[in-house]
This record gives sequence, structure tokens and C-alpha cells, in this order.
Amino acid sequence: MRTKPEPDALDGSGARWTYTRRGYALSQSLRQLKQQRIASLGTLLMLGITLALPVILYFAYLNLATLGHRSLEGESITTYLRTNVSDIAGAELAESWSTREDVARTDYLSKEQSLAMLGEASDISSVIALLGVNPLPGAIVVYPQITDVATGSTDRLAEVLRSIPEVERVQLDLRWVRRLAAAISLLAWIGGLLAVFLTLSALLVITNTIRLELARRKSELEVANLLGAPRHFMNRPIIYTGAVYGLLGGLLASITGLMVLNAVQSPADTLSSLYQNEFTVSMPTMTQILLVISVCVCLGLIGAVSSLYRPSQHFRQ
Amino acid sequence: MISFQNVSLEYRLGKYALENLSFDLKSGSFTFLTGHSGAGKSSLLQLIARLTRPTSGDIQIGNIIYSELGVRQERALRQQMGIVFQDNQLLHDRNVFDNIALPLIIGGYQFDDIKLRVNAALAKVGLEQRGSEKPINLSGGEQQRVGIARAVVARPKLLLADEPTGNLDSEISQEIMQLLKHFNASGVTVVFATHDEHLLQTYPFQRLTLSNGQLVNDESTQSAHGSRKRSSTRKVY
Ligand SMILES: Nc1ncnc2c1ncn2[C@@H]1O[C@H](COP(=O)(O)OP(=O)(O)OP(=O)(O)O)[C@@H](O)[C@H]1O
Ligand SMILES: [Mg+2]
Repeated sequence: MRTKPEPDALDGSGARWTYTRRGYALSQSLRQLKQQRIASLGTLLMLGITLALPVILYFAYLNLATLGHRSLEGESITTYLRTNVSDIAGAELAESWSTREDVARTDYLSKEQSLAMLGEASDISSVIALLGVNPLPGAIVVYPQITDVATGSTDRLAEVLRSIPEVERVQLDLRWVRRLAAAISLLAWIGGLLAVFLTLSALLVITNTIRLELARRKSELEVANLLGAPRHFMNRPIIYTGAVYGLLGGLLASITGLMVLNAVQSPADTLSSLYQNEFTVSMPTMTQILLVISVCVCLGLIGAVSSLYRPSQHFRQ
Repeated sequence: MISFQNVSLEYRLGKYALENLSFDLKSGSFTFLTGHSGAGKSSLLQLIARLTRPTSGDIQIGNIIYSELGVRQERALRQQMGIVFQDNQLLHDRNVFDNIALPLIIGGYQFDDIKLRVNAALAKVGLEQRGSEKPINLSGGEQQRVGIARAVVARPKLLLADEPTGNLDSEISQEIMQLLKHFNASGVTVVFATHDEHLLQTYPFQRLTLSNGQLVNDESTQSAHGSRKRSSTRKVY
């Protein structure tokens, strides 16, 4: 490190900033991390893993929440018409249905539109183009009145629609939506509970690590006490250590969470496309990631302060 | 400057480490604190440094009355003293420079000032070129000099030295004694705990002699009011 023994080289081992009170505290914390490299790495991994699951649950919840929300808005019954029903007849039918009082709105999807939609999703359209005829039926998307959706009388509406001769098949899009919504809220509960437990154990990891560190730093703290250092001077490095652990643990957990989300993205999209839903797994926003990291930093701080509570009594004269 | 009034210190109930001490030490004086091992020298210095509180009696430095100090003020007071510890209390995880810089960092000094003062202190104890070494690589006498440099680096008015020559040979003891004498000459009040007979013979400074926690001689102390008074009927709390 220092090779030249000129008088000017006698300026300590650290950089200039490490000779201020706060700089000293931070450099002491980082130094402990560096010196106990293996132990620190182990602790960080443990923290990262413990925090990763709550983070993943949080990110997943953000996605599912939008999914449930979006889907309930568009609750609908899709009725596929027989192929021999012309687009004009289909449109008229849609028009007449929309006057029913248990229907809020209807959309007619022409055969062309169906083809276009299919074309977006797959390359079946090229096969159809080869055939030269469009074998697809027209469809009417019926949006029931919201009150009806709530009471479940949409089943009755579906029955009525099914009995109309032009209708080939009725598909209730809302059954799975409703189940999904229920599943999401159950998952949110279980996930929330899990997240709380895991967060608590992360807190314990931090508290325990800092207890150990306090023991390691005993002589330094004693000397600082003998030299008349104020309490906050002695506590500061410990608090910084907590914050550093929180920060790094939070970063690790966020990265893990994002990786998991990324891995899950394509299977989730496939799943959602099976349900004709335009749902895609979206990445959390920067604000949400920052929120996660700052919560982790707070955990670190809480862990540090709680582990300080007893040992500092030791230095009270 | 330092004034003890009927100060007693009881570590365990009924067992006095120091018993009913009263004395005054003048500002700028040099005082030997002597006595057999276990007589209470370290305890007395700890009382002055407010590292321990007396069981009864009060201590005063200048116009600061110890019993009226809050925790914060006690620590601030300690920062204004230089203390050389019996077991030198150097930190072995950092080099000599950083050991000496610690009181200045605690005191919130600027980096340039820290550099200046640490190098000056190193020069004063004759360790100019050793700042970047770890204390473990220094000899016992050199380590003790680092301890002295750390004690004087913030230029305290009062220097407490607890057997800084404890297990050093007499030549090095003389060197350290010269150093402390030098600081005393520049106006620093020095209290030097030692049982080094040779030093006591060589230097004619005033003495406080302890025996089993009591002052036994006062022939050279400025004031001895009450130091001889031994109440045989002591209250047990
Ligand atoms: N923290 C403590 N708890 C209990 N008893 C103590 C404590 N510190 C010192 N003593 C006792 O107080 C008495 C005085 O001890 P002190 O360390 O002041 O002696 P000393 O004169 O410095 O001795 P030495 O020359 O060996 O350093 C001793 O009997 C010692 O056992
Ligand atoms: Mg002693």
C-alpha cells in the first residue's frame, strides 16, 4: 500500500473522507464487511434469499392486482355465431341484443376481424390465406350489466343466448375471471403472511449479525469510550452497517425478484393468451423497486438500533 | 486545578478501593502517584477521568464540579484530557497514525489539521517515520510512546499517565519520563502513576502515596486537608 516513507506519506491508511466523524463511521462499517468477507457474503446471501421471496410476492401481487382489475372491467360473454350467419345479420343481432336490459353493451366481431385477431396471435392466417376462404364465424361479445355480473344472473343471460338459433357456442369469460379474483385475494393473504414472517427473519439475521459485529469491535468501542467519544460516535458505525446490509440485501433481493419475474414472463403470457386476455407480466416500475430497497434499508436500521440497545448499556458509565 | 474532597470509592460493598481522599493539585504541577500494587492508583486516575464515579465525596477540576455533570459533559470532559493507559489501549487493527488520529476524529478536527497534529505528535515522541506501521510491530517502549502521542495530540491541559513505564527497562523509562517532563514544562498538568523507585528517586516532584486506598504521605502535597483524618466509624451504606 505505502511504499515511500517520505514524511508526506504519513497520512494514515485511509482516504481523506475517512477522517471525518461520519466518514470514519462509514469506513469502519465497510472495513468490517471487507475483513469478514466470507462471513459478510454469507450473511448477505442469507439476507438476499430471505428478502427475495417477499419481494417476488410483492412484484407478483402488483401484476395480479392489475390483472384482476383489468379482467373484471371487461367481463363478457362471447357468443360465436354459426358460420352461415352473414356479417350483416350478425351485426343486426348484436344491435337487437344491446337493447336487453340485462345487457350493457354488445360488440360485433366480423369474420374479417376474427381473422385479423387470429393473425396477430399466430400464423394460422397464412394457412387460411392459402385456403382462400375464411372459415371463421362472426362473434358477438356481450357485456352484461355490472349488477348482473355481481349477482351471478349472467348465467341466465348465457342460457338465453345459447337458445338463440343463430348461436353456435356461448363462452362465459367471467367464470375464470371470478375464480382468478378469488384466488388472487387468497394468494395475497397467504403471500402477505409469508412476507411478514420472512421479513421478520431477515430482521433477526441483521440483528444477530450486528450483535456479532459489536463483539468483534469491542476493543475499538472500549478505546473510543476511554477517549471520551460521545455515544453517537460509537453507535454510528453500527447503524451504518445495518443500513449497508439492508441496502445490499435489498438490492440482491430485487435483482432476484426481477430475474424470477423475467423467467416467468413467457409462460405467464402463454397462459394468459389461452384465456384470450391481453394480460402480460409487467416489470415493476423504478419507484416500486426503490420502495422495496428503502424498506430493506429501514429493516437494516431497525435491526441495528435494536441490537445496539443492550450492548450500549455496557458503556454507560 | 484538581481537587478531591472526602472521596471514597467502593467497588464492592464494604471493600474500599479508595477511602476518604482529600487533596488539591495545582494547575501546571507534576505529581507522582505512588503505592503498592492494588493500592488504588488506577482507580484514582479513573476517578479523575470520570471513567468511574466515587461512592461518596466530590471531585472538582477548575470550576467543573463532577457531581453536576451530565453524561454528555462527562464525555466532553474526557476528550479534553490526555490519558496514557497502563495497558496502552492501542488498536491493533490500524496503523500508528490512525491510532493517534482517533481522538482528533472524535473531536471533529479537519483532515489537514489532523495530519499536522498527528505528525507533530509523532515527532514529539520520536516516531516520525513509524506512522504507517501497525502497533504490533513496535517495541513495548515504542507502543507506549504511541499511547503518549495519542494522549497529547489534542493538546490537553491535563495528562494522566497510568504506569506508562510499567514493564519497560529503566533507560526507556527515563525517555518517557523526559517526555512527560517536557509536556509539563509547556504548561500541562501531569499526574503520573508509578511505583518505579528509580524514577521517584531521580525526580524531585511532589508525591501522592496510596496504601490500601488511603493517602499515607503528604509531605510534598500542597494541601492535605483531611487526608489524615480516618474516621474509624465509617458508615456502611
Ligand atoms: N473494576 C473493579 N472491580 C472491583 N474491584 C476493583 C476494580 N478495579 C480495581 N479493583 C480493586 O481496587 C483496588 C485498587 O485497584 P487499582 O487497580 O486501582 O490498583 P493500582 O494501584 O492501580 O494497582 P497496580 O499497581 O497493580 O496497577 C484493588 O484491590 C483492586 O482489586
Ligand atoms: Mg493500576
